[in-house]
Amino acid sequence: MTARRTLVDLAVALVAITAIALVLEVWARAFRVPSYLLPAPSAVLARMATDAGLLAREGGITLGEAAAGFVLGTGVAFGLATAMAWSRPLERTLFPLAILVKLTPIVAVAPLFTLWFGFGTAPKVAIAALITFFPMLVNSFVGLRSADLQEVAFLQTLGASGREIFRHLRVPSALPYLFSGARISLNLALIGAVIGEWTGADRGLGRVIFVANANLDLTILFGAVLVLAAIGIAANALVGAAERRVLHWHPIAIAT
Amino acid sequence: MSVAIALHGVSAGYKSPVLRDIDLEVGNEVVAVVGRSGSGKTTLLRLIAGLLEPTAGTVDLLGVAPVVARRRKRIGFVAQDARLHPWRTVRENVTLPLEVNRTARTNGHISPDEWVARMGLSDAIDAYPHQLSGGMRQRVALARSLVIDPEVLLMDEPLASLDELTREDLRDELLRLWEGRARSVVYVTHDIEEAVLLADRVVVIGGARPARVRGEVRIPLARPRTKALRREPRFHDLVEEVRSILA
Repeated sequence: MTARRTLVDLAVALVAITAIALVLEVWARAFRVPSYLLPAPSAVLARMATDAGLLAREGGITLGEAAAGFVLGTGVAFGLATAMAWSRPLERTLFPLAILVKLTPIVAVAPLFTLWFGFGTAPKVAIAALITFFPMLVNSFVGLRSADLQEVAFLQTLGASGREIFRHLRVPSALPYLFSGARISLNLALIGAVIGEWTGADRGLGRVIFVANANLDLTILFGAVLVLAAIGIAANALVGAAERRVLHWHPIAIAT
Repeated sequence: MSVAIALHGVSAGYKSPVLRDIDLEVGNEVVAVVGRSGSGKTTLLRLIAGLLEPTAGTVDLLGVAPVVARRRKRIGFVAQDARLHPWRTVRENVTLPLEVNRTARTNGHISPDEWVARMGLSDAIDAYPHQLSGGMRQRVALARSLVIDPEVLLMDEPLASLDELTREDLRDELLRLWEGRARSVVYVTHDIEEAVLLADRVVVIGGARPARVRGEVRIPLARPRTKALRREPRFHDLVEEVRSILA
């Protein structure tokens, strides 16, 4: 991907977003929409500027919780996926449990987590971890199983141990899957942290949104959502950059 | 002549038998195994490599079970259309066999870079597999199998996926390799002319499933051989002899 193309892409995205904002602005002003229903983008931006300190601080807290949950959830998922790829009995045991975790509505267990872990950081991290767990588990498992069978056979004829085959072949084969799992899980981790804050917290963007919702204070509500989106976009870009660097040998990375 | 590979009364295939009662001994020679597609040629090679357990009979590789011989790193294996490790450069792919199973005697006298050079890939030594043509990838597959200086070389239609001219080049390459050092080679192919050109002995397997050894033809053509052989009448006689057993 050339720098020129990146710039063009960015310009197109900026123009499109500005156009949408302009439409909303004109709408809000022309029909005199009350700000507790739909605040004008200019009002949201003004509020974001006024409360920049607050948004940065609370955004940082949410980001920290999401990041910790992401690391914990994806780490455990990769470990279990390794065990499942290793042994079929373990796969049969763990996979139904994983589906159970997946099917449990997060909103239903979030208050429970608050009961168990208190009002601090722990329940938010736990929810973020829980929500990131399943996509990463499935992607890791499929990725570890995706190793080319001919190459497995080749390593076996060299007398390679199972561990060597894992390290030299299975893990690198899984990398494209791990990255797509990470892309899904990153955004989910942010959502998880916000849900955690929603159900009982005195800090974080989720709390800001909760309070704003109760007060019909929509400018700060949208401001918080925009900050959340900005964090998500930045995190995605970071993973994308890492992916292009690590997977430079991979057809998908080559195509972009 | 010492026997490097010995199969006695070997059958394979659980639910549907693929091979039955195969006897085959290979010394310091090149044995080509020919048969129709799906006749169990690849199964035979997998049995020798210890990638598959026979349902009956015994497989000996260098006097021991294939799995034991494997641990001593004495087997070179070249598959059809080898995909290599796409995240490794040509050089890194060729050094891979030296990185695994370090307890075994690993090295021949020829360095990985030298093998890459012999395969005519020096200019591409830092390239990744996706940047190579099919023929170049097969050359890398050959180099990485030879870098451990294997005593037994097992090849499963290594040239089948290549275009005709590349095949001819690589056949010459193989012929030159086998002049250099005596080793035991089992070369699976469905191409009769290729088998006659490369081998000291052609073993034909086939028949209704499960397949058996249908016969074999000695190829008394002197080495060094070149592709010019293919214009000679006695070459064609041998090809016809193999064909008549196969048909």
